[in-house]
Amino acid sequence: MLALDGVTVRFGGLLALSNITFTVEKGEILGLVGPNGAGKTTLFNCISGLVRARGRIGFEGKDMTRLPLHRRARSGIGRTFQIPQPMHHLTVRENLTVAQVFGAGRKDPARIAEILDVMELSHKADADAASALALQELKRLEIAKALATEPRLLLLDEVLAGLESNAKRSFMLKLRELHALFGLTIVIVEHDIETISNLCTRAVVLNFGQLIADGTPAEVFSNPAVVESYTGTAHA
Amino acid sequence: MSDTASSRLLSGRSLAMAGGLVVVGLLPLAAGASPYMLGLLISSLILAGLGLSWALLGNLGGMVSFGHAAFFGVGSYASALLAAKLGVPVLLAIPLAGGVATLSSLAMLPALRLSGPYFALAILAYAQIFRILATEASWLTGGAAGLQRFPGLPTVFGFNFAERHGSYVLVLGMVVLCALIYVVIRRSYVGIALRAIAESEDATRVVGVNSTLLKTWMLMLSAFIAGMFGALNAHIIGFLEPDYAFSGIWSVMPIIGAVFGGYRSVIGPVFGAVVIYMFDQVIAKSLIPVGHQILLGIVLAGMVLLAPNGLAGLVGRIFSRTGGKHHARA
Repeated sequence: MLALDGVTVRFGGLLALSNITFTVEKGEILGLVGPNGAGKTTLFNCISGLVRARGRIGFEGKDMTRLPLHRRARSGIGRTFQIPQPMHHLTVRENLTVAQVFGAGRKDPARIAEILDVMELSHKADADAASALALQELKRLEIAKALATEPRLLLLDEVLAGLESNAKRSFMLKLRELHALFGLTIVIVEHDIETISNLCTRAVVLNFGQLIADGTPAEVFSNPAVVESYTGTAHA
Repeated sequence: MSDTASSRLLSGRSLAMAGGLVVVGLLPLAAGASPYMLGLLISSLILAGLGLSWALLGNLGGMVSFGHAAFFGVGSYASALLAAKLGVPVLLAIPLAGGVATLSSLAMLPALRLSGPYFALAILAYAQIFRILATEASWLTGGAAGLQRFPGLPTVFGFNFAERHGSYVLVLGMVVLCALIYVVIRRSYVGIALRAIAESEDATRVVGVNSTLLKTWMLMLSAFIAGMFGALNAHIIGFLEPDYAFSGIWSVMPIIGAVFGGYRSVIGPVFGAVVIYMFDQVIAKSLIPVGHQILLGIVLAGMVLLAPNGLAGLVGRIFSRTGGKHHARA
């Protein structure tokens, strides 16, 4: 479904991503793992179109490398941000409606109601502006907004960060539910090894902009290079 | 923007606002205002229209313009030249001049990549370019000496638009029409997406909004409206020179009016421009004939400090305190 081939990004003298090549199969839940500064969010930015990259980004057989951000969203790539970025002054429903009208190119209030229901935001739909939501609600809105664009590939950037363990567990269940309900392919950036092990069928590990491991979570987390990247000894 | 509201872009409230504007606007005629006072009110309404066009770009597009004088000036010259040199009827030349101002705004498209102060500076420089062009192209514009001989507003079905009462009604009608256009856009998905772009452009783009395209539309529409008011003003005053048509006043006064009135609302820039201009011309000038603008500055500073949302916000606050409904999105 998603094919990255030699994706490379430089910020001035800094090589943020170096020749990243891997594929994501339809229906997968893939964990993108790595220490801070490994290039995970940069890779999301490349896939979604926020950052221009060298190499090739293919989605469902089409070359997306030169497509602008909004066209990629309309092509079926949805994403969330690590720090939720709702349209602050709009209500929850308005946030979703704008995303649906522009992202999916249609207006379907029933679908919006379904997303609100699944994301447990129905009671907040028309209550306040999004800026009044609590962190967990903002994270749910962030996902709901992406879902409203009717994506087939969903990029989740640390959606579980900052949540306490019970909330994290229920959020994980929610992600499984979304995966099944909407037939999604999910790539999730996450630091927590336990979360990746429980949620993902496969994990890709980045370190200093390079792909250092690709396999099942069990394989990846027993890989010495991955262990070193997390303990820091390899580049200390 | 509930579903029902969005399906009716012109709600009863919007039409009531338009009706209110017309009624308030016609009061001076009913009260028998003097030609001098009507002249001042016409000028204030020209600024109100310009303020609406500025707010359309600043509030919806999130682009603060210090160069609306460019569109105003281009509209002024285009209409005067169309009417004088090609014999185009004035009432047709005015929207055509808006079209020419829109075309001129296309030269600004590269600046849409900029944001905040960089955009403001770019558009400020752009206004200067047009002033210089108008001065140098003397074969067409009359150069620094300007244009004097071009038709004024016509008489239609016995109604003389060139006369003060007629001009006033025409400009008032144009302001109301532009306010309604603003309301329709603001309530549409395009308007909502535009306001979201002003908050976080990336967050809006990742849900499929083509922010560049929407901002381009807003720049073009804003230029069109500014150009039309420039054209109206030219035919009312009957002369043009580059330093007047492209004066910084046409960039600054709409901003002052919009900020004073509350640029986030539709009605704010209209009332702000009228109140601030009339205050300046009637009160401040009588108190300090030379340097009266200092009072304008003091009043504006006071308003920004005490009521950052301008007159519209202040009225809303008073209504909410007295039990009325506070309509933040007037």
